[in-house]
Amino acid sequence: MELVSGNRLTALGALSAGCRFFAGYPITPSSEIYQTMVAELPRHGGLALAAPDEISAAAACVGASLGGHRAMTATSGPGFCLMIETIQYAVMTETPLVVCLVQRLGPSTGGATQGAQGDVLLAEHCVSGGVTIPVFAPAGAADCYRLVRAAFEWSERLRTPVVLLSDKEVGMTLETVDVAALENGSAPPGRRAVAPGTTRFAPYRRPCSEEPPDFAPVGGPVRVIATGSAHDGEGRLSKSSPEVIEILASLQRKIDAHAADMALAQTELAAGADTLVVSYGVSARAALEACRRVRARGRRVSFLKLETLFPVPVSALGPALEGCSRVVVVEENLTGLYAGVLEPHLGGRPLQRVTGLGGMIPPSRIEPILEEAA
Amino acid sequence: MTGDPWILPGAGPYCKGCGHPLVLRALDEALAVLALDPADVAIVTDIGCVGLADSRIGSPHTVHTMHGRSSAFASGLALADSVLGTGRLKPIVLVGDGGATIGINHLIGAALLNPDVTVVVHNNFLFGMTGGQSSALSPVDFVTATTREGNLVSPLDLARVLLASRAPFVARTVTGDRELPELLRQAIAHPGFAVVEVLELCTAYATRWNPLTGAGLRELAEQAGYELGVLRDDPRPTFAAGWLARHGRATTGRAKPATTSPARFHHDVAHATGIVLAGTAGERVQTAATLLAQAALLCGLHATQKNDNPVTQGTGFSVSELILSSEPILYTGIERPDAVLVTSADGAAELARAGVLARVGPGTLVVADAGIELPPLPVEPLRLPLRSSSGPKLAALAAVATWSRSAGMIPGAALRAAVADRFGAAAEGVAAALEPIAPAPSRPG
Ligand SMILES: Cc1ncc(C[n+]2csc(CCOP(=O)(O)OP(=O)(O)O)c2C)c(N)n1
Ligand code: SF4
Repeated sequence: MELVSGNRLTALGALSAGCRFFAGYPITPSSEIYQTMVAELPRHGGLALAAPDEISAAAACVGASLGGHRAMTATSGPGFCLMIETIQYAVMTETPLVVCLVQRLGPSTGGATQGAQGDVLLAEHCVSGGVTIPVFAPAGAADCYRLVRAAFEWSERLRTPVVLLSDKEVGMTLETVDVAALENGSAPPGRRAVAPGTTRFAPYRRPCSEEPPDFAPVGGPVRVIATGSAHDGEGRLSKSSPEVIEILASLQRKIDAHAADMALAQTELAAGADTLVVSYGVSARAALEACRRVRARGRRVSFLKLETLFPVPVSALGPALEGCSRVVVVEENLTGLYAGVLEPHLGGRPLQRVTGLGGMIPPSRIEPILEEAA
Repeated sequence: MTGDPWILPGAGPYCKGCGHPLVLRALDEALAVLALDPADVAIVTDIGCVGLADSRIGSPHTVHTMHGRSSAFASGLALADSVLGTGRLKPIVLVGDGGATIGINHLIGAALLNPDVTVVVHNNFLFGMTGGQSSALSPVDFVTATTREGNLVSPLDLARVLLASRAPFVARTVTGDRELPELLRQAIAHPGFAVVEVLELCTAYATRWNPLTGAGLRELAEQAGYELGVLRDDPRPTFAAGWLARHGRATTGRAKPATTSPARFHHDVAHATGIVLAGTAGERVQTAATLLAQAALLCGLHATQKNDNPVTQGTGFSVSELILSSEPILYTGIERPDAVLVTSADGAAELARAGVLARVGPGTLVVADAGIELPPLPVEPLRLPLRSSSGPKLAALAAVATWSRSAGMIPGAALRAAVADRFGAAAEGVAAALEPIAPAPSRPG
């Protein structure tokens, strides 16, 4: 066992997933990821860069990834805002990229040393045109390791930017973790490469509309055309030909087609439960504790912790909802941002939001709501 | 690769007389002389008319990027290739004066980092694609779509900014210069960051509104005080060379792989125990908490340590909330503290503000420095001269040791072992803080 933070395990998980390029810009509460990557990458044969700003950091990562290298950056809300144009570029050029967004209290500079779950929709809806980018939400240090690996796996597999959404508490709190038990996974497979011997290839032509195109690195023997402008299969600038629109639609279709495989969740279901408690990230810990306390007092409640937030893990939701006549969603933001995302998937069951701002939601605030009958 | 030309023949999507295709033609000549493998060349285009060049490229890779950010993408490409890849890739950035100024931080950053990137700035003194608006490189009195009566703002001398940014190769010339292909060749051949600023015409706007001709570009340069030619050619070690010299291409993996060691000490933690430790930033409050968490770990316990401090790291309060438990810990906050340890007035004030003192119950063990004020509490605090007997930097550890003795849950031997693990040879001085402290003779009223 080691006493270790989520930020540190995010970095170690990324290294185990084959990340070899990191460009960073310091911002609380994410800086420890940056510092750990700077310390660890050289002995993994990788490269860490001190970028002059978050736009440079994200763009350098995309550049490295275009060259075929797994790349990651880490930031918090204000820096994430600066990265959005580049994240959209990664979506459009279908370039793998992992962005760790360690949330703090916003808006604006907000509270640097204060946790929050206020960026959940910002992370998801930062792409014009409505393209989904996968978002994974660790609730603790060990989750950070596991889920940053999932982030790399899907980023590579679908050639898309992926966000690992933690927060100050998940990132900076030290916890005892059996790190050795986490450390034996090999790096997930990379992007599907062009067939060997290919001389000419259309960089944006895909095997089918649910899959990303094959990959060739900039700098490799096959000529690559990458562009953030609307393009046809050859990578030629085109406005709105049917082929261009088809490519844009595929950016979403490739995500939707793999939604069920990407859906990660943990459940603690109770037989005969009338209430399902759904939570994610740091709040999931308090929610589970509240569930266990009221269960010890005879209440029947089921618990669902979502680790994949986007694409919405409907496949994980279905079985957990069975038999429940109400849903309680716990998250640390003003209005229950993710509850609004879940609402259409609840089959009309009444939804109760437990929200909070300025500190972790304690179990004692959740318990009385669970004590009420559905 | 394909046997295609470097740059495709033909006029391209530019207005008649535009400077951009002239630069492309010069680039074609330069690349032909250099005879690189096209697979090792990436043309990285910015936004604007200049960015349309990617459709004119034949055999090299092309990466069409975002407005102003081209050199940041190119830096990532070049550095990753130098350290992780072939080490042969030469990204060549084509950017306008608009892109160069919105993204000037990337140009400065690249000049400082010194990756093997060549930047060709196509300076037509205005934003071409968007309709001829002024840019930061528009000369004084220049007529543009947004300065119809002449520009009032002094132009930026971009080449000088990049000289000041220690770019090892800087050149500036005009499109009519017969030496342009040779300048581009030198820039690309240069092993690090190289920039060539080319003064050129936008015939759609600049020459329509200003008495400017191709031949007049030199005169414009003179009036603006712009020197032409190679302004610096002084190679210095690239970032990648420095990195590889320091780190090599080693792939030995993590320095200290994780190990699972069996518990070395016995504990008496019957239920999850929450301890709040508060003091002043810079006085090793969080270190003391970590030592207790490590001691718990040595006893086979689970622990969490949630730290809080103001944004600045070295002033104001510092608070650690520790939970020790034989079961995995879920919620990492402390609703009802089992112990509250306070070593300074900063810490006490923060605990009052955050409502922690209000959650002290009759079963809470409160240990406080003898010199600080506390509001009335439902328990009598244990007052000790922590600061005066251990010193401010070890007061928090002394408080932790006091808790250990009073609560009897974690043995002092485990704390001593944690101190020894952390401080090695320096442990002896630190361990003094673990010794019992005699109560102060009197305390403030
Ligand atoms: C972030 C952003 N802001 C604004 C624009 C709109 N835009 C497109 S081209 C351009 C100006 C380009 O001017 P310049 O870089 O000088 O190139 P030129 O068109 O003259 O070749 C602008 C502002 C954009 N694409 N992106
Ligand atoms: S608008 Fe100006 S910069 Fe653009 S193509 Fe025409 S002449 Fe060239």
